[in-house]
Amino acid sequence: MSTAALTPNPTAAEAGAPARSGFDRAVMALLVLLALLWMLPLLWVLALSFKPNEFLMGRTGVFLGGPYTLENYTDILGTSMVFRWLANSAGVALAQTAGVLVLSSLAGYGFARTEFPGRKLVFVLVMFGLAIPSQTLFIPLHRMFAHAGLQNTFAGLVLPGLAGPFGVYLMTQYFRAIPAELEEAAMLDNASRLKTFLFVILPLTLPAQATLAIFTFLGAWNDYLWPLVIATKPEMYTLTRGLASTQTNFAQSEGLGFLMAQAVFAGLPVLTVYLFFQKYLVSAVAGTGRR
Amino acid sequence: MMNRSDTPPGHAAPRRRTGLAAAALALVSALALALAGCQRAGADAAAPGAASTAAASGPVEITLMRFFGSCDARYGTSTDATKAVGECGILTSLVNRFNAEHQGRIVVKTQTAEWGPYYDQLTARLVAQDVPAISVMHESLIGDYVRRKLIEPLDDGFREVGIDVDDFTDHARRGVTYDGRTWAMPFDTWSWLWHFNMGLMKKAGLVQADGSPVLPRSPAELLAQARQFKAATGKPYFTWAAANEQSANTRTLLTLVFQQGGRIFSDDGRHLDLHTPEVKRALDLMKQLYDEGHIKPGTDYPGANQAFLNGDAGVLIVGTWTIDQYMKEARSGDSALRAGYHVTPFPQLFEKPAAFADGHAWVLMKGGTPDPRSRRAALEVLKFFYDHDLDWARTGHLPTRRSIAESAEFRALPYRAGLATITRDGVSVPSVVPTQRAVEALIGEDVSNLLVNDKPREQVLSTIEKRVNAALRRAHR
Repeated sequence: MSTAALTPNPTAAEAGAPARSGFDRAVMALLVLLALLWMLPLLWVLALSFKPNEFLMGRTGVFLGGPYTLENYTDILGTSMVFRWLANSAGVALAQTAGVLVLSSLAGYGFARTEFPGRKLVFVLVMFGLAIPSQTLFIPLHRMFAHAGLQNTFAGLVLPGLAGPFGVYLMTQYFRAIPAELEEAAMLDNASRLKTFLFVILPLTLPAQATLAIFTFLGAWNDYLWPLVIATKPEMYTLTRGLASTQTNFAQSEGLGFLMAQAVFAGLPVLTVYLFFQKYLVSAVAGTGRR
Repeated sequence: MMNRSDTPPGHAAPRRRTGLAAAALALVSALALALAGCQRAGADAAAPGAASTAAASGPVEITLMRFFGSCDARYGTSTDATKAVGECGILTSLVNRFNAEHQGRIVVKTQTAEWGPYYDQLTARLVAQDVPAISVMHESLIGDYVRRKLIEPLDDGFREVGIDVDDFTDHARRGVTYDGRTWAMPFDTWSWLWHFNMGLMKKAGLVQADGSPVLPRSPAELLAQARQFKAATGKPYFTWAAANEQSANTRTLLTLVFQQGGRIFSDDGRHLDLHTPEVKRALDLMKQLYDEGHIKPGTDYPGANQAFLNGDAGVLIVGTWTIDQYMKEARSGDSALRAGYHVTPFPQLFEKPAAFADGHAWVLMKGGTPDPRSRRAALEVLKFFYDHDLDWARTGHLPTRRSIAESAEFRALPYRAGLATITRDGVSVPSVVPTQRAVEALIGEDVSNLLVNDKPREQVLSTIEKRVNAALRRAHR
């Protein structure tokens, strides 16, 4: 094959480029516009968080212009328990993420690559978990945990989140997509099933693991409903639960600036996670869509 | 013979399967152990929060569960309630002062929960036997907790620590009494008030010689004044949370019904009947006001407050808790209230003086004070609140002690002399009616549909009756 054959026709490329790039630019401009539109409420939240509560009782349609205050943030930081709640949230989110990764990987591998009696039935049961709204399980779950003495414990906060049918489904699909020949080759080299799983197959699922980790972490961090009932002592509150407990009775009217500052404060760690892992998150969302 | 290489994926040899299972078990066990460790740490950390009898020599710890928010940053060390502002500030200062005065003997540990899911969280705690010693409770809900045997009767305890139930105001006494026994220490009475923008009222020619607003004395007068106000100012007379909020519409409706001497619940609290002339008259008046544009349309709670503070309406109907804030706003140079602010009880539009009222009260939860020492300590906390009723009344809420309501100190507080009648005329839904929060929401939701979405009145009445009566039946099962 000649070199010329591999070189794109410069004339055609040049002729086609302006039309495509004009279209691309228009699409990009539209996307930027939509992104800004999407960000408006977030910017609004940020702007309101720097304004006095009394001022906001009468006017909420303000972006720029004074008065400004840091009082809402100092009030949050001055709450005696806030760093404890932050640590609790981090602990719960990390433990839940680790647990879900371990359990979902094992379960996913089991469903995708092993045969055992009732495998299909068990998988269908797990998939039912995706269809059942978690709220319907709320009362029996709380009674069960309360009966087991897990009220106001880290175990009580973490354990329900470990049952993640989404994670099992995601990992099962991912394991199924990996060619069986890789596994067979490893076994031909006398690798045990565990070795094959840990050192050959599992590393190939890192993108899926990252996806699952990010979704699980964000879900656990933002969870409010379960900590509301299982953590009833301030020492055991997570950040979402703790910050909510500091709100006055008519916070949406009388403490709006404080409310907005709480939203920003609680969102910062999540934003940090996003900034560090955005590559994985974007590919995760795209990958999940394709699958 | 089949060797390892013959084993296809999916047909692992038993030994490998066992190895994998063992690894999985090891991982899960490690996780469980880690959690168990955390659990112990959590339990250890949580232990001090419980109402405990502690060591006989140490201070008794009393857990106090409440809403009203948390304000450690501003009032974490304050012990002077007279210098504090707002419900949270005053209550935090009071508890700090109690702890300072009882150092070494009793320590009150506050456990704050947000107002919205407060009772859900209390229920969750009771289910888990994580019972607080003292809990704040709306008087309208006390009946539910008595029937479920979840709170302690307090008559003997009150005598023991010197709380005089005969000093309770009429409304407070009714609010904490069930089947002839006292079940709570009433902390305040709050009611439905009319807050006035006096600048707009003056513009409309609705101000008396003494500077107070001209109040309507009948529905006809109200409509006439509202029309006069609109013609003069171009603005609606009223703003209240007519949309996306259930309580405001219910409380206004109940006030108008109570003022006609009407009743909507049967004596035993098991049945709701809204097909009465009093209810129809009240709803027709509300609907006419809305349709003629005398109520700012489509506002929720913050929207109604904003409308009032921006001078978009003459009268805001809302509770006692906003008085301090509006007085502060009226002192501000650029406020729409700078020309004057006034507040009165809901004016008498029908035959009887009456206004919907409820109250906050303190209850002792059953099982929260397991021994005489902690029970005595909890009663001392209630006595402390009883003694500081005036401090709490600075929030705008009304006192629950007759002696305080009639005192010069209370009447010297702005507008309070005019509001004190509520401690006598305030009317609540009878305590035999269960699940009153749900009932309030169900009524308010459909009254909102009448006003905002033009749902026909007869349909509204039937829908409310059907839904509320079903809720009452469920509650009585």
